[in-house]
Amino acid sequence: MNRAHFMAQLRDGLSGLHHTDISDILRDYESHFADGLADGRTEDEVAAALGEPARLARELRAEVGFRRWEEHRNPGNFVGVVLALLGLATIDFIILLPLLCGLAAIFFGLSIACLGLVVGGSFLLFNLLPFGWHGVMGNAAMQLLIALGLISGAIGGGALLLLLMDIIAKLLIRYARLHFRLFDTANKSI
Amino acid sequence: MTESLQIQLKKGVLEMCVLALLSKGDNYAYDIASRMAEAVGMGEGTIYPLMRRMQNDGLVSTYLQESGSGPPRKYYKLTKSGANALKAQVSEWIVFETAVRKILGDAT
Repeated sequence: MNRAHFMAQLRDGLSGLHHTDISDILRDYESHFADGLADGRTEDEVAAALGEPARLARELRAEVGFRRWEEHRNPGNFVGVVLALLGLATIDFIILLPLLCGLAAIFFGLSIACLGLVVGGSFLLFNLLPFGWHGVMGNAAMQLLIALGLISGAIGGGALLLLLMDIIAKLLIRYARLHFRLFDTANKSI
Repeated sequence: MTESLQIQLKKGVLEMCVLALLSKGDNYAYDIASRMAEAVGMGEGTIYPLMRRMQNDGLVSTYLQESGSGPPRKYYKLTKSGANALKAQVSEWIVFETAVRKILGDAT
């Protein structure tokens, strides 16, 4: 495999990542080829020593996904971590999959519950306004307290949810890293 | 020794070796990769996921430096927490290695 072929396969494998991440990674490997050639090796030799570009791309994707999650803990990046894990396509992952689906369902349920608390609390707050329906539940002070209670419950629940997501992401990342094959069997270097 | 045990062992010390190389001076990935490939048979391409991960973990930082020819080179530098990690891993390694050697010594 020559340099252009290797780089094209690597680029294919990285597609979907942020373009700054892609160009950063491609630059690393371009300069590796340049250094290798300066070292008196051929493009084919350098490519062979580098290993399979598709597999390298999967590992790099995973690392980039993990970093994005650590920088910005939002649901989108959480999905990124899970997708990166899927990309590593380890056999044991089939065992993990039902567990992940279950977790996703629980998260979804809890998010809906938090949303419900916010809606309920807001409704009670709205009721306190002069044009609300008075007397839905006790007096105004009681309604205010209940509304605030519901909303702070939702905030607490949301925080707990994020915390749980963080713990699970950390576990997944550790699990995935165990499956990185740092030694390339393809070129007999163990 | 089965092949998988060898792989697991090497995988475990890979990070420590890279940290040790960097503790002797800043270096660029090609040089680290060729040293590691020669010493422990690491696939050269895997240095980049590894360096990225060590950077994520705050063990190394990078900077660009002009090279004699071509575009500037990315150098890796050990951070303070990288140096601490190296110290911890080396002392762990020495304890382990001494224990294994003792057992092997008894056996021969």
